[in-house]
Amino acid sequence: MKSRRMVGAGVAALAATTMLLTGCSGSGNGGAEAGATTGALDFYTDKAAWEPDFDELNATSEEAVDITLNTTGYSDAQQYDAFIKQSFRTDKSPGLFTWHTGDSLEQLVDEGLVAETTDLWDTAIDEGWATEGLRDEYTIDDKQYCVPMNIAYWVMYYNKKIFEEQGIEEPTTWKELDAAAAKLKDAGVTPYYQTSTLFTFQWFQQLVAGTDPELYKGLSTGDVKYTDPEIVDIMNIWLDEQEKGWFSDAGSTVDPAVGLKQGDFAMINFGSFFNGSLDGAGMVSGEDYDMFVIPAVNGDLGTTPVSVESGPLCVAENSKQKDLGLAYSEWWMSADAQTAWNAARGDVAFNPKATVADPMLSELGTTVADGEHSLFTRYFEATPTPILTVALEQFGAFNANPGDPMPFLEAIQAEADTYWADQK
Amino acid sequence: MMAILQTPEREQEVRGLAEAPHHPARRRKTPYQGAARGFIAPGVLLVAVLLYLPLLWTTFLSFTEYNGLGDPEFVGLDNYVEMFTDPSFVGSLMNTLLWVGGTLLIPVGIGLALALLTWNLPGGIWLRLPFLIPYAVSGIGVGVIWSFILSSNGALDQALAVIGITDPPRWLVDAPLNTFVMIIAAAWQGVGVNALLFTIGLQSIPKEPLEAARVDGATGVRLFTSILWPMLRPLTAVVVGLSIVASLKTFDIVLSMTKGGPGRASETLALTMYRETFVNSDYGLGSAIAVFLSIVTLLASVLYLRQQLSKKHEM
Repeated sequence: MKSRRMVGAGVAALAATTMLLTGCSGSGNGGAEAGATTGALDFYTDKAAWEPDFDELNATSEEAVDITLNTTGYSDAQQYDAFIKQSFRTDKSPGLFTWHTGDSLEQLVDEGLVAETTDLWDTAIDEGWATEGLRDEYTIDDKQYCVPMNIAYWVMYYNKKIFEEQGIEEPTTWKELDAAAAKLKDAGVTPYYQTSTLFTFQWFQQLVAGTDPELYKGLSTGDVKYTDPEIVDIMNIWLDEQEKGWFSDAGSTVDPAVGLKQGDFAMINFGSFFNGSLDGAGMVSGEDYDMFVIPAVNGDLGTTPVSVESGPLCVAENSKQKDLGLAYSEWWMSADAQTAWNAARGDVAFNPKATVADPMLSELGTTVADGEHSLFTRYFEATPTPILTVALEQFGAFNANPGDPMPFLEAIQAEADTYWADQK
Repeated sequence: MMAILQTPEREQEVRGLAEAPHHPARRRKTPYQGAARGFIAPGVLLVAVLLYLPLLWTTFLSFTEYNGLGDPEFVGLDNYVEMFTDPSFVGSLMNTLLWVGGTLLIPVGIGLALALLTWNLPGGIWLRLPFLIPYAVSGIGVGVIWSFILSSNGALDQALAVIGITDPPRWLVDAPLNTFVMIIAAAWQGVGVNALLFTIGLQSIPKEPLEAARVDGATGVRLFTSILWPMLRPLTAVVVGLSIVASLKTFDIVLSMTKGGPGRASETLALTMYRETFVNSDYGLGSAIAVFLSIVTLLASVLYLRQQLSKKHEM
């Protein structure tokens, strides 16, 4: 009787444990069956704030290709990256997920974890939905992987009222930009925004690429050292500007969109997705704020370099929803899909045939394609992850305590030396 | 009834009872022991699966190079060598030691003072209560609140500007000031619970020795050093032990207030572990730091508690 009781208790408890453990394992891939090209597609993204925009697109995609997104948004990028990486070890790898181009995408491709999209790109190029330049961002060993979720150009946003009050026009040369900054400072307005966390790289990338695009490219391939005299000279330009008091306090935690609105600073170098944040802060596009392409430091360059970033939409190679994910990716690149997306999100379009709702963003797309501008990959994607991590910290430390640039550059170069030694 | 008494198990129990005086080390098996094992098994299984397996996996990863994809590659002690030769790791270790010292001095010290001042005071509980409320706030919540106060042009700077201080220190930017102010933020949260624990300790002290000491004329500092402090030692051991462990693991407040920056100036070991693992995708190095941190925490706890317990034994 006792042993029966023991067995009963043990079985009940183990059953409870099993239920608990299976309960923790998640619901798995819902929606469509393996091989299906219509149905509900599980979609994971680290852009949790964009979830309503993706949901808004479901009505259009259902009508067009009979696919709807079942979106799960993560708000913590690191947590999201770890989740995606772990998912490849299970049979729950996502049918569609957002990722990063550059080093991060290469890591997945090297392991054979993402589905090839060369056919989709061939169609997109034939249809005139994407440019060859953009295709390069998604090309690894002559094959394409993923499709562009969005594209953003890094430009200078400014507070129109402050510019008007000070009688400043949009600068078209580096000299004019310097003159504008000096005038603002004299009037008691801090010219530029800066921070000590995450978005610490943009002024460095602007100064280097605007001085010599080849030098910038060399940093991303390891051919140029961060301690190179030309880089040191560029850092000294930055230091000089810091010493003139042209940058906001790096320790401030005021939301940058709110900061621009309330005049904590007059200009902010940010990606063209910043429109959404400024609109959210209550500023009106074209009335309260505007943007301009940052002139090249070196006026002798044939074209003005513009930083571009593109976030990919990828399909996992071993996903049960691979076919569904690829079908959605193909539709996503079409002009109809991108017109609907730009209406939902308010973004510049990578598809030249799409209609962009915001006139300011539409004009930016036309400007950068006018032949007088050249695109270069944003520092975030162009730099291998371990070097990027150290560089972001060092630029943050420089913003917080500007001084002799060498210790900062040496710290980055030390990490770069370790990284490139491993690649040989 | 007789049939039950004659079962082999019962005979074993009776024999066990009879043998007990001759073999004091042997434990008697109770009738419910088997059932108890059945109930404990799932718990043990859960702990093994959710705690010990990850621990073994982390230890294994610490000897590998692994970016979270594919298979880990064995690299021996490389990660440990890299860890100890990285100047930033040493900085992180120093910051962690600052946290240990700071949290012992401030929240534990003030907690003890608060407990002593409000002990036996009519309405003492109401005096302690405001200090206890912050304990209900999460570490990240504390970080967010104090960031609002201490960031440049934040609430504190604006308050100081009102009284004419227009160039205040950069609380969260300059090191090591940023670590000190974060310790104060952590103290704001921890003082109340330490005071509560010390109050429980004070209330558990028997009245007789206290009365005897008072009759002998011991009051104030003399009463504290000769009677209260020695009798509080078992509780102090627990409070200080918990404080050491908590400060060695400091993560959430620093993450939410400075993210370890600027640069890596205010990073702690737990944050370094997070940085290497999840930001840099260097799971091997992150695991090596995790193993190091676990060993340090375990050693500090064991050594401290052993020392305190042996003192208690001497009393």
